[in-house]
Amino acid sequence: MAGLSNYRFWAYAGLAVLLLALPLVGDEFWLNRVAKYLCYGMLGAAVALTWGYAGVLNLGQGLFFGIGAYAMAMSLKLQSYTSLQQGSDTPVPDFMLWNAQPGAPTDLCCITPGSWIWLPFQWQWTGVIVAVILPAVLAGIMGRIIFGQRISGVFVSIITLALVLLVRLVVTDAQPLTNGFNGLTDLGWLTVFSHEFDPYAKGTYYLVAVALIAVLAAARILVATRAGTILQATRDSDTRALYLGYDVPAYQTFFFAVSAAIAGLAGMLYVIVSEFASPSFLELSFSITMVVWAAVGGRGSILGAAVGAILINMIEARVSETEALVEAWKAIIGILFVVTVIYLPKGLSGLAHDGMARLRARRPSFQLKEEAGQ
Amino acid sequence: MTAALTLDGLAVDFSGFRAVDGVSMAVEQGELRVLLGANGAGKTTLMDLISGKTRATEGKVLVQGRDVTGLREHRIARAGVGRKFQIPSVFSGLTVRQNLEVAQSKRPSVWSNLRFALGMSEKARLAEVLELIGLGAEAEREAGLLSHGQTQWLELGMLMIQDASVILLDEPTAGMTQGETAKTAEIINRLKGRHTLLVVEHDMAFVRDIAERITVLHLGRVLAEGSVAFIENHPEVKAAYLGKQGIA
Repeated sequence: MAGLSNYRFWAYAGLAVLLLALPLVGDEFWLNRVAKYLCYGMLGAAVALTWGYAGVLNLGQGLFFGIGAYAMAMSLKLQSYTSLQQGSDTPVPDFMLWNAQPGAPTDLCCITPGSWIWLPFQWQWTGVIVAVILPAVLAGIMGRIIFGQRISGVFVSIITLALVLLVRLVVTDAQPLTNGFNGLTDLGWLTVFSHEFDPYAKGTYYLVAVALIAVLAAARILVATRAGTILQATRDSDTRALYLGYDVPAYQTFFFAVSAAIAGLAGMLYVIVSEFASPSFLELSFSITMVVWAAVGGRGSILGAAVGAILINMIEARVSETEALVEAWKAIIGILFVVTVIYLPKGLSGLAHDGMARLRARRPSFQLKEEAGQ
Repeated sequence: MTAALTLDGLAVDFSGFRAVDGVSMAVEQGELRVLLGANGAGKTTLMDLISGKTRATEGKVLVQGRDVTGLREHRIARAGVGRKFQIPSVFSGLTVRQNLEVAQSKRPSVWSNLRFALGMSEKARLAEVLELIGLGAEAEREAGLLSHGQTQWLELGMLMIQDASVILLDEPTAGMTQGETAKTAEIINRLKGRHTLLVVEHDMAFVRDIAERITVLHLGRVLAEGSVAFIENHPEVKAAYLGKQGIA
């Protein structure tokens, strides 16, 4: 594959095999938990794409994850049997009934103000499509405005951060429409060709694992194209790229939108696995946690950032079983971040790359083979 | 034949201060023109006006006869204007080869660059430029690890491979050793003919090495224009810029 040297290819292939083999060693409960972490892995890759490759630190990536999650959850909520028992011909979410004005018609179109937004989500694929397309379109518009104005660096972070908090405020405030702080729970299952994706079945784990492998491969191929090289060029010097004739904002916007679509997909799959969507996805701490995952794994590497996210969450799950460490975990994560930034600025993947470089230097024949394989 | 670069009464007004004040000049195809002038004469501002970094308040810029006045920077670049800044600017995280690949891309849009391979002719040209700038051995190194001189040459190579018809160079030898300066003169002399160059430079020894015609700017206006010998003996130039003693 052009632009991918051999050991990188084997690193991707190795992860793919590992993920597909996991069901051989774990029970369904554990696999369900791992599937959630794989969704986080996608988020790590999405952050690496913008932060590492475009030099754009999005502190509101949770916005796109949240949109993906809510879109899917709206469709699955309407599939839930609790929505079918509200005395109406069409499904109506139970919380809308609790929030409706006395005497309001028990119908999805008008039970609460604005409830008609839910109408298209009766079709399950609306949720799936909106979960990916809406984040991409929104990011496209944001990118056009932000990058078109030549806004960069910390100001992009501030704008994205403000935006995710704004949306969180709106979502928690619109109780009759979104169930506010409680989020969307009691969801149905995704059904494809009459196969139901039970969150605690291996099929659902495979769905997420295959999606992650596909996303990682696609993102890695994307950054290996000339457009990917040009994107990295704009990161190093946007002026130089501009004077070479490139419309720099167009490149930044394109990859910003791709990253948003990945985050939306991650949110959508997360809901399928976890059976809830909550405004906590839109909290600032969640978006910042994603940045920590990418930093520890290595923001310069799609694979590294994804593995960083998965590993940190696996460790967290193990640690939280030890009572003494539950409270200390946040501090451990904080220290981990600081140590990585100071001593391992390229994260775990940077460590791996340096190790490979040292190995090649020691074995010249290895290097020759590698070049022939490029 | 139309001139490669024509400036017609170009002026910019920074709220009352006219940094460039009605400059008209024509640079012929393949010519190398040196811009001389004391600090504040308006040399860099003139380059900003040509490349679109600063917008002119009066006058016109024509590249190969096409009016590019007021276009955005990347549009002017696509019209054939390449620029090298005073402070070398390359893509430090990319390898030398990748730097040149980025500069080489003919199609600027995102969609047309969603592909991998370079064509045979593009590969050949890339190898040729690597040789010209003497960085063949450094092709796979990260540009951020190059020496100051090498960085400048890489940037010159990027302008070469970009195939800009008009190249603007702002003090290409600033901060270079004598050896590096000599090599830079060699590279620039090779660019002559194929590209039209406009060079800002202070080092008179270097100017004698590369220049054919010189334009002297003073307080935003053209003071004199002519051959090296003509400029060196021009009384007003001596008074305004070189000092009463002449050129060192």
